[in-house]
Amino acid sequence: MNKIHFENLQETLYNETLENGLDVYILPKKGFSKTFVTFTTKYGSVDRTFIPHGKEEAVTVPDGIAHFLEHKMFEKEEGDIFQKFSVLGGSANAFTSFTRTAYLFSATDKVYDNTEVLLDFVQEPYFTEETVEKEKGIIGQEITMYDDLPDWRLYFGAIENLYHNHPVKIDIAGTIESIDKITAAHLYECYETFYHPSNMVLFVVGAVEPEEMMTFIKENQSKKTFDKPSEIVRNFPEEPNTAAIAERTLEMDVTKPKLSFGMKCTNTNISGKEMLTQELAVDLLLDILFGRSSSFFEESYEDGLIDESYSYSFSQEHGFGFAMIVSDTENPDALEAKIRKTIEDATTSWAVTEEELERVRKRKIGQFMRSLNSIEFIANQFTRYKFNEMDLFDVVPTLEKMTLTHLKDAFSTLSATEGHTVFKVIPAEQSNEAK
Amino acid sequence: MFTKSQIEQGVTLYTRKSEQFKTVSFSIKWKSELTEEKAAARAVLANVLQDSNAKYRTQGELRKKLDDLYGTVLYTDTAKRGATHMITLNVDCVNDEYINDSYVLGETLELIQTVIFNPNLVNGEFDQKIVAREKRSVTERIRSQYDNKTSYAQKRMLENLRPNSPVSTSSDGTEQAVQAITAETLLQAYESMIANDIIDIYVVGNIDEQEIAQKLKELLPFKARPSRQQQAFKTDEHKASGDVQHVREKQEMKQGKLHLAFSTPVGFHHPDYSKMQVTNGVFGGFAHSKLFMNVREKESMAYYASSSYSSHYGYLYVMAGIDAELEEKAVTLIKEQLSALQNGEITDLEMEQTKALLTNSITSTFDSARGQIEVFDQYKELDENFTADTLIKAWEAVTKDDVKEMASTIQLEIIYLLSGKETASNE
Repeated sequence: MNKIHFENLQETLYNETLENGLDVYILPKKGFSKTFVTFTTKYGSVDRTFIPHGKEEAVTVPDGIAHFLEHKMFEKEEGDIFQKFSVLGGSANAFTSFTRTAYLFSATDKVYDNTEVLLDFVQEPYFTEETVEKEKGIIGQEITMYDDLPDWRLYFGAIENLYHNHPVKIDIAGTIESIDKITAAHLYECYETFYHPSNMVLFVVGAVEPEEMMTFIKENQSKKTFDKPSEIVRNFPEEPNTAAIAERTLEMDVTKPKLSFGMKCTNTNISGKEMLTQELAVDLLLDILFGRSSSFFEESYEDGLIDESYSYSFSQEHGFGFAMIVSDTENPDALEAKIRKTIEDATTSWAVTEEELERVRKRKIGQFMRSLNSIEFIANQFTRYKFNEMDLFDVVPTLEKMTLTHLKDAFSTLSATEGHTVFKVIPAEQSNEAK
Repeated sequence: MFTKSQIEQGVTLYTRKSEQFKTVSFSIKWKSELTEEKAAARAVLANVLQDSNAKYRTQGELRKKLDDLYGTVLYTDTAKRGATHMITLNVDCVNDEYINDSYVLGETLELIQTVIFNPNLVNGEFDQKIVAREKRSVTERIRSQYDNKTSYAQKRMLENLRPNSPVSTSSDGTEQAVQAITAETLLQAYESMIANDIIDIYVVGNIDEQEIAQKLKELLPFKARPSRQQQAFKTDEHKASGDVQHVREKQEMKQGKLHLAFSTPVGFHHPDYSKMQVTNGVFGGFAHSKLFMNVREKESMAYYASSSYSSHYGYLYVMAGIDAELEEKAVTLIKEQLSALQNGEITDLEMEQTKALLTNSITSTFDSARGQIEVFDQYKELDENFTADTLIKAWEAVTKDDVKEMASTIQLEIIYLLSGKETASNE
């Protein structure tokens, strides 16, 4: 078992890749009573066109299938898996993102029993046409719920605008129509392709004894047989650097208009250290240009262009990346103009100073330290980083090495106007009579 | 779990040394009675104090200072508990031992003093412009609740259930009450908060408890004030009539938001409090509970269908997102689950699962500094020496008969449905 000690952080990480290809990481945390375990496959909503395990031709599966599969993993012939966790005091959950599906639990007692339930239920698929049909009602309500959430529509609307072809523009849960096409056979095909141990990471963090836990996991895995790992071939369409749609507006029953401004990243065919540097550089840059201590923020808040709902973020995975600024606003046009002006000013006269870099660097280091208090954050982020060949514990050293040139390079991947888009949610005409 | 020291009458400091976290967390809580006017004034005040002070006059200056302190987090929030309103100043700073600097804790303490005792006054009053701006912010926060359909439905249900009561009073007040605030009334609210509120101060982290207590006593010279208990809401004030209110409202939306409230005489201060927690868990608190299993899993009617126990007001709330046309069926199913409990149809497995998950949830809460503070601040009203074990033992002792008995005290008071317009024409 490998053991890596991070002196500055006072953390030790244990790791081993098992014979079947499963990557296991264990991080004991002093003083915690809870153990948190995530079992994650590198399979998300964007993996819609691929060569199924044991076949040669690529297929395209119905939208929303990774998420549907996640739901269905919890149902077995003997019943509902939540019940098994509950009786062991394990609080279980799962989520599907663009690129990952994660199954997890947290428990303060019976950690081995809970871990066994987790490993076993994720590694024993059970789908029937009947249970697949039944799930369509539940997921249909989930999709409807998101349809009614203006903030989700606002965020996703900008992503839909940005992409011409890339499946990141397809809602993770799919649509009522697309999930209707899903069959048990589809689920088995996706399961067999993406749920091989060599495409997965198990992360254990919290009140755990690393040696014992590793032995326990190995024993569990050695009882099961898996096919030889084969390379997973995913096909992604060509994606231009421009935004597909420059602007769109949606009417909903809201009290105040909402605006999202999306910026498409043009350097996405990267991974590892290069990806980590770019990600942190964009984060720092957004803090400088659009953060709460920026003149953009102060003026916009003063003028009532933004309110407490304001936020900004950067998301990237291998193959896509975008920055987003969102806020409720009485004046979407003025806010849009101000965002564009801020980007334009930085483009024509780059004026970020060492002092500013130093300030936001300190902020980011502190924020990272604080996030290490959360074992949920560690487990989720660590796995995301791993799948992109980055290392969570490289964050602080990378921040320390960051220069103004890195920031400028990162800015140039986002600053071109043809890669920008605007999505607005505005109050529907009828909304007054509704109140 | 916390070391208690009295700073002055009505001002108490609770410290906890723990090596668990890489940060030091502070919470300072001001508690007062809950009225619409007070809530509005204090919500605006919380914003004003968070954004500027006499030393850092603008948001930019203050935020830059926080960046320099390795991103020390500083924010205020407002909340309510029973008939009590609370303003909290939350501060988290990185423990100096994890960075190559040693000024962060000291300067964070000074900043806390500045935020509390040196507000941004110009000629003895709050800056008119800032007051206007933060009135606008709070107004927009109140208004924007309309956009989140679940939280709007809950708010409307409560307003119908108990108008003009702490149950439905928002900790941000109302738009009207916020509009009525002036720089003068805001200053009065500030002075009253500093001089009259019950104050609880919490510190959690790898600290020297005595040293930090000494420091805080010097830095926060609060004067003595009359002690009083937090205002408990009297749960026997529930409506006597057995009539169930039925309210339907419409908006442009797709999903139906079904919200129900059931009253119970068992509140936070009642000796049967832990029995009711278990009852709620079996009814709809978890993914193994009756509501989840029957409304979601068996009938595939909902993505979420759950209950929550609002112990400070003696209510159980049920919420589910459904196709509005299935309202009647959903209500029948929900009522059936309660009847099952009232008839004692409870399995050993349900009891075991519920107790195990309640235990997991309390022990997990203690894994965050803010969780430790919030749980202690609430439970100390019952017992200052409580531990997670005290709570777990109380749940362990609950029997199926107890749950049956608790369920029999639960009475449906209101059914509220917020739904899309199309269903209106079908009715």
